Amino acid sequence: MADFEPRIVTFCCNWCSYAGADGAGVARLQMPTNFRIIRTMCSARVDPEFILRAFSKGADGVMVLGCHPGDCHYIGGNYRARRRIALLRLVLEQYGFDPRRLKLEWVSASEGEKFQKTVTEFVDVVKALGPTPLQKEAN
Amino acid sequence: MGFLDELFKKKEKVEDVAANVANKAEKAVKGAADAAKAAAYDGEKVTHELQKADLGELLPGAPKGGKINLAIYWAAACGGCDVSILDVNERILTVGDMANIVMWPVAADGKEKDIAAMEDGEITVSIISGAVRNSENEHMVKLLRQKSKIVVAYGTCACFGGSPALANLVADGKEEILNYVYTKTPTSADFQKTYHKDAPVIPKVSCKVPEGELTLPVLYDTVKTLDQVVDVDYFVPGCPPQQETISQMLKAVADFAYAGVALPPKGTTIGITTKTLCDECPRKKANARITEFLEPYQVNVQDGICLMDQGILCLGPSTIGGCGARCTKAGQPCRGCYGPTADVQEQGASMFTAVASLLPILDDDPICDEEKIVKIVSEIKDPLGYFYAFTLGKALIKKAVKETGGQ
Repeated sequence: MADFEPRIVTFCCNWCSYAGADGAGVARLQMPTNFRIIRTMCSARVDPEFILRAFSKGADGVMVLGCHPGDCHYIGGNYRARRRIALLRLVLEQYGFDPRRLKLEWVSASEGEKFQKTVTEFVDVVKALGPTPLQKEAN
Repeated sequence: MGFLDELFKKKEKVEDVAANVANKAEKAVKGAADAAKAAAYDGEKVTHELQKADLGELLPGAPKGGKINLAIYWAAACGGCDVSILDVNERILTVGDMANIVMWPVAADGKEKDIAAMEDGEITVSIISGAVRNSENEHMVKLLRQKSKIVVAYGTCACFGGSPALANLVADGKEEILNYVYTKTPTSADFQKTYHKDAPVIPKVSCKVPEGELTLPVLYDTVKTLDQVVDVDYFVPGCPPQQETISQMLKAVADFAYAGVALPPKGTTIGITTKTLCDECPRKKANARITEFLEPYQVNVQDGICLMDQGILCLGPSTIGGCGARCTKAGQPCRGCYGPTADVQEQGASMFTAVASLLPILDDDPICDEEKIVKIVSEIKDPLGYFYAFTLGKALIKKAVKETGGQ
């Protein structure tokens, strides 16, 4: 699957990770272009339904990026997100997905390089996993 | 091998059960003290007496324009919905005055050929319970749709897939299911060993006998909800629908049959409220954080306090109200049979959100690693089966998938 280009949905929190992604862009860091960013106010705003909807529409991987533990703009949003995503990963595993298709990472506003590194690594992981196992519905 | 094997293996942990019994005895003592605390906390005694069923008025004989035609059919369902229709109490005796029951497999004589001989639209109302799981289900619901003015998806299986839809999680589909049921379960394994030593016998779609060919309906790989197969006018959720819900449905039909009152708009879900089950539940929430999840048999369930506060996983926060919170009033957690609220599609996803917020934030949360978090959420056993017990047919991802490993 050398020519497989994954489609990845990335949720970035407004206060840290989106600024981090912006920083990566301003610094002109090279990274793969397989991801689309959706900005949310907090990583805890990412309802599990959003993630399941992304997978059901054919996303090969989903990334949720938030503030570092202790740094959440809303004090404890990222702790909630962390539990939710861990739970969702169990569920994806039960469905038969490789849980590595869903990634949660902390990227602060100043960490453009970490954003680049996270995205690059995740794209490599998803490339190795191959396209989403979800079959298109017949009708 | 597959999913079913694993499921049964989990159940065989007998020593775990023994440990739980010991635990329970210990907790019973603790429970008494907690109950006293609960009474003090609540201040008022919550009674769990169910309200007397509303008997309502009997239907007034035959409608002016003649009796309407009523068909009741079950597809992939347990039959509980058919029985629940009797819940309209003595009014059921007068339903026969209002309507000809042209088909009701469990109670009346109408056959498929009688329905096929009818004109299109000759049946006023078809009440169909159950999911669509085989070719016979599909043929019958399509036939009834063609012959009916109104089709009602009655019960959770017809509305959301219900528990039959959990079969969609068996990765190898119907082959694995048939193989398991007819060769692996203890009774069938024994039978196959005794009578069919060389090759196990598994039901086939068609079979030649001296008298001709015998056929069985084709089992499908995917269990579908009724509205994924035919156009549905109304939805009546519940496993089974509660008496009030059925009465509302009967009233709508009777008003239409006797007085020509307009029916609710197409697509209406009958018998639900606009809020979640928690809104109807009389238990009080103390917003306790929980770290272990229990089944009701493992604790002495206290009256008046939210079941979640007591560590019992209850699907109330993600389930639409309308049932009157019967289960939680009786000390049993909500399993979610009335389906998701109107604003979301995914009942399970709503529940992940709710549960994750109930887990406490720990002192070492800023520094702990992912393994610890996984350990915390792993307290919930089988989240997919538990949170989607009734609604997998309508979930965003409806079937098990298989990773190909990049091939």
